[in-house]
Amino acid sequence: MKTNWLVSSRLWMGMAAILLIGFPFVSDSRSALILLTQIFIYAVFAMSYDILLGYTGIISFGHAMFFGIGAYTTAIFLHRWDHTMLAFLVSLLVVLVLTGIVSYLIGVMTLRLKSHFYAMLTLAVAGLFLVLAEKWRDLTKGSDGFTFYIPDVLKDRTTLYFASFFFMIIMFFLLKRFTDSPTGKVLQAIRENEQRTESLGYQILHYKIIASVVAGLAAGMSGSMYAITLRFVNTAVFGTNVTLDALLMTIVGGVGTLFGSIVGSALILLVHAGLTDLAKIHWIFERWMIFFGALYILAVMFFPQGVVGMLRQWKEKWKRA
Amino acid sequence: MDVLLNLTINGIATGSLIFLLAAGLTLIFGLMHVLNFAHGALFAWGAYFGVWIYTQTDSFLVGILGAIVIGGLLGWLLERWIIQPVYTNTMSQIQVTMGLLLVMNECLKVFFGPNQVSVRLPDYLDQSWLLGGVILIKYRLFVIAIGILVFLGVQYMLKRTRLGLIVRAGVMNKEMVQALGINIKKVFLYVFILGSSMAALGGMLFAPYSGVIHAGIGMDYGILAFIVVVIGGMGSIVGSAMAALLVGVLGAFMTYFVPSVALAVNMLLMFGVLMFRPAGLFGR
Repeated sequence: MKTNWLVSSRLWMGMAAILLIGFPFVSDSRSALILLTQIFIYAVFAMSYDILLGYTGIISFGHAMFFGIGAYTTAIFLHRWDHTMLAFLVSLLVVLVLTGIVSYLIGVMTLRLKSHFYAMLTLAVAGLFLVLAEKWRDLTKGSDGFTFYIPDVLKDRTTLYFASFFFMIIMFFLLKRFTDSPTGKVLQAIRENEQRTESLGYQILHYKIIASVVAGLAAGMSGSMYAITLRFVNTAVFGTNVTLDALLMTIVGGVGTLFGSIVGSALILLVHAGLTDLAKIHWIFERWMIFFGALYILAVMFFPQGVVGMLRQWKEKWKRA
Repeated sequence: MDVLLNLTINGIATGSLIFLLAAGLTLIFGLMHVLNFAHGALFAWGAYFGVWIYTQTDSFLVGILGAIVIGGLLGWLLERWIIQPVYTNTMSQIQVTMGLLLVMNECLKVFFGPNQVSVRLPDYLDQSWLLGGVILIKYRLFVIAIGILVFLGVQYMLKRTRLGLIVRAGVMNKEMVQALGINIKKVFLYVFILGSSMAALGGMLFAPYSGVIHAGIGMDYGILAFIVVVIGGMGSIVGSAMAALLVGVLGAFMTYFVPSVALAVNMLLMFGVLMFRPAGLFGR
């Protein structure tokens, strides 16, 4: 069957990519550039969450801990050691090792539990990390946080924009490769029916731990990049809100579709920026969490397939018609 | 010695407050396997609205009654419109109730402003007695007394009434109860309302106990209640009472002697229980 060019998602993705690459050359809006950079980085964080929520079917309320570990590790390396590219790359390695160890340990200890307990326990562990970051003042400067210099190469906003953009593209293809791999297929089987997958002879726990580690590594890297864009880090990176942002982005964009996380990240951050602007008009918009929370509840209840899921449904209908 | 005794009384009073929150949580989970992340928000709403009514009417008792009524009403609304549609779907349940917690906390900030609200005790409760070097604060004893009363009341309800019989049977085997022609959804609605009003009562009692309230107490005490429910065993009222006392007293001692690790100790306690005895200390 000949595919209709209108519904070819690759074409749309390619066009979006070209537009995004061209963007810095046509627009000189600094704030738009920064917003897009944040969208790319949050998209990676949301994708890493999608590995857990969308592909394996587990809910973690503590995903912010990996994000926070990444942000703090990079910040501390650049602040304490040297603000060069070498220090940044070494810090990325350390982030991978740290988040790998933490996600493995937490996975081994908690993934045996039922979903309720797992959600609660991850919430508790992330809380511990928040307390740790607040109390270990020598290293983290407490809840005030600290600013630091970033490598000269990344100082230019446009360079950082491209770095984040390609970071997102690379992570997208890596994670896509992972979810399409045999391991990824087993994860999706676990999501669909845990008992049946187990009786087919798969060690559920092992696969869940793999998912947890992969998600942890990706989240840690996005945390590092986040710290670089802000040039500042404080304990907010460990907050429950960070996890919930990822949850919201994943759900609005469409669970179980890595691309949906990118769409979700863009939607949520754009809406957030819009609402922050509106706060000048009416104070109620300062409480944007209400809108997000309500949107989130409605999305879970009535719109579980998300934007990308919905587009795919339309595409199926189109093909059949 | 006096310090130890004072700390113990403090701990028991805090434990009573946590128990009020945990009792509803454990019943709701035991009966319907719904883990209500928004339970802490009911605590905060009880505190804010109770205090509001208290300052409007200038009567502490009316404030307490108001908090209980508002908790019950909210419980009814939440159960009917938000929890019921996601009964069978654990994933949506966890997410919806967590979203609810956020929205309800933010609503409090909209209604009452983002700053913390200070609360003063009525004069007749704001006294203390000195008993051989031990200071007995009247309000703490009042809180403990209410905690004991509620515990006895819930125990009576569970053990001596028809509703309690159905609830206990439902905790054991939900399908069997339904097969006997009992509308368990209705029973669950009642339990949810009961749990919500207990949480709101706990919040209202907490307000003058700490002197200030802020919108974050829902999350903070919600987590404590979860820890208690996990330690005590899901669905067990006695377990929750014991665990609430344990967490309360342990918390009081830790805050006094090693304040920096106070929160971590509770978390580690829950961690240990979940690792080695996932059913909880008093669970089956």
